[in-house]
Amino acid sequence: MKGLQDFILKLGQIDRRWIFLAIAVVVFIPILNPIGMPIRATDTTKVVFDAIEDLPANSKVLVSVEYSPSTKPENHPMTISILRHLFKNDHKVFVTCLWPDGQFMAQEALEEVAVGEFNKIYGEDYVFLGFRPGNEAVVKGIVSNIRKLYTVDVHQTKVDEIPLMKDVNKFSDFDFLFSSSAGFPGTIEWVQYAADPTGVPMSSGVTSIQVNEVMPYVQSGQMKGVLAGMPGAAEYEALIGQKGFATSGMDAQSIAHLVIVLFIILGNLAFFVERQRSKKY
Amino acid sequence: METTVILGAWVAAFLTLGIFSYLYKDNPFYKIAEHLFVGISAGYWISIFFWTQIQPNLFGRLWPSSEYSDSFWYSIYNGLGFLSSAVFPEGGIDKGHGLDPIYIIPLILGVMMLLSLIPKVNWFARWGIAYTVGMAAGLRAYGYLNSNVIGQIKGTAANLADPNLPFFSLTSPSTFNGIVILVGTITGLIYFYFSKEHKGVLGKASRIGIYFLMISFGASFGFAVMGRISLLIGRFVDLIKFSGSDYHHAPIWILVFMLIILGYGAFRDKGSNTTQSA
Repeated sequence: MKGLQDFILKLGQIDRRWIFLAIAVVVFIPILNPIGMPIRATDTTKVVFDAIEDLPANSKVLVSVEYSPSTKPENHPMTISILRHLFKNDHKVFVTCLWPDGQFMAQEALEEVAVGEFNKIYGEDYVFLGFRPGNEAVVKGIVSNIRKLYTVDVHQTKVDEIPLMKDVNKFSDFDFLFSSSAGFPGTIEWVQYAADPTGVPMSSGVTSIQVNEVMPYVQSGQMKGVLAGMPGAAEYEALIGQKGFATSGMDAQSIAHLVIVLFIILGNLAFFVERQRSKKY
Repeated sequence: METTVILGAWVAAFLTLGIFSYLYKDNPFYKIAEHLFVGISAGYWISIFFWTQIQPNLFGRLWPSSEYSDSFWYSIYNGLGFLSSAVFPEGGIDKGHGLDPIYIIPLILGVMMLLSLIPKVNWFARWGIAYTVGMAAGLRAYGYLNSNVIGQIKGTAANLADPNLPFFSLTSPSTFNGIVILVGTITGLIYFYFSKEHKGVLGKASRIGIYFLMISFGASFGFAVMGRISLLIGRFVDLIKFSGSDYHHAPIWILVFMLIILGYGAFRDKGSNTTQSA
């Protein structure tokens, strides 16, 4: 027993760099050799899917992209999957960005899905309005008069000359909002200044770290579901039947979690053994 | 493959490994990556802000091409055109706006904020800051009151009043879940009530509130770990992609180079420590 306790104590004192190395190894190996662990959609993801599925064809959907390359592995697969779902169901997509880097993320996603996979026509099937600085003031601007804020799109084409923008003057002209968000400004600002005051339904895909913050809005019905981090994106890929980056990353994610749980248990055991010994002597 | 794409992959691999190298210890590779990130981010933001807001939405409303004339106002514009024809193109700015003189106020406030760089007149900046703070405070007060207070109170209370809900369900709305939310909200609020000593019933309720808070912090920690692992997966996927022959095995060469330099640094530090202790 003493030998085991000594071993646990020794483990509790190892250099943290060995832990970093262990995490790197357990993340790296499943990426190279995927196991294909099953992915089951959670209720919050299913609600997002159903909300989009229930929209009548040709609905006007605003997709707001507010993340940067730093959270691309979590947010980008969601944006790709949502765009696939929207274009597959023949909805009209309007893309705005509250983050400057979001403009490039949205550009990449639209090129891959709208142009590459669905051959959608710019200005008729989708519009890319781009980024405007101002945080929540931009959301307020879109709610009151989108044309005052966006007189030109991302290609500097006048909004009045874009056919799809006909009859789109304010936020309540949209049928649905999806916000792919990594922080401020993002999902919370859309709830506070757009969805709640106008009653336009919205869903969101957020980074894992934001899930706790936005979950109260989902529970209270202010948001229709949420895609929670990379697992949320992988679940959505499973629901639309098109696997992507998030699905391939889930093996590494699951194994890394198991190892971290193991480290937490060992760390706690070491703490209790040390406390017991210090009491004894 | 284009040379610029390959070069981009080498830069991405260097910066990723440079940031990762901090896990070993603070070192020059990490510093290079960190400083590049800060500098490029600042430059990128300024550029994007200028070309998406200030030029089209501010200057575009003050000197629109639709109102271009030989007036004094546009002679100022023509004068500015000598500074930069890209920002102030000939014949006014064509971004779909009409002339809107009220935008002279944000222009003046913006210039006042820039005056903070000149110590003698830096007090001017306070006006711009005061406007921004006042506007943001007013805007947020409404949003928080409507969505975070009223909306959340509605959400907390609604489930208990609904007779159609099942008594117990783990994943979907139920009366039991409604009770948990109600108890969690009230006891959590009691924990932050400091006007009376937490003794007796108040103390017990506040203790329950702590448990709810601890569960919430635990969930936050779990989500934070999940997020960081996702980002690590993203970087590893890119590094694996750049390790291919298309990119001339960029991460492998860079990793070897960094290991040699860091190894040499560690060896030299060990040597100097031994000399000092002797």
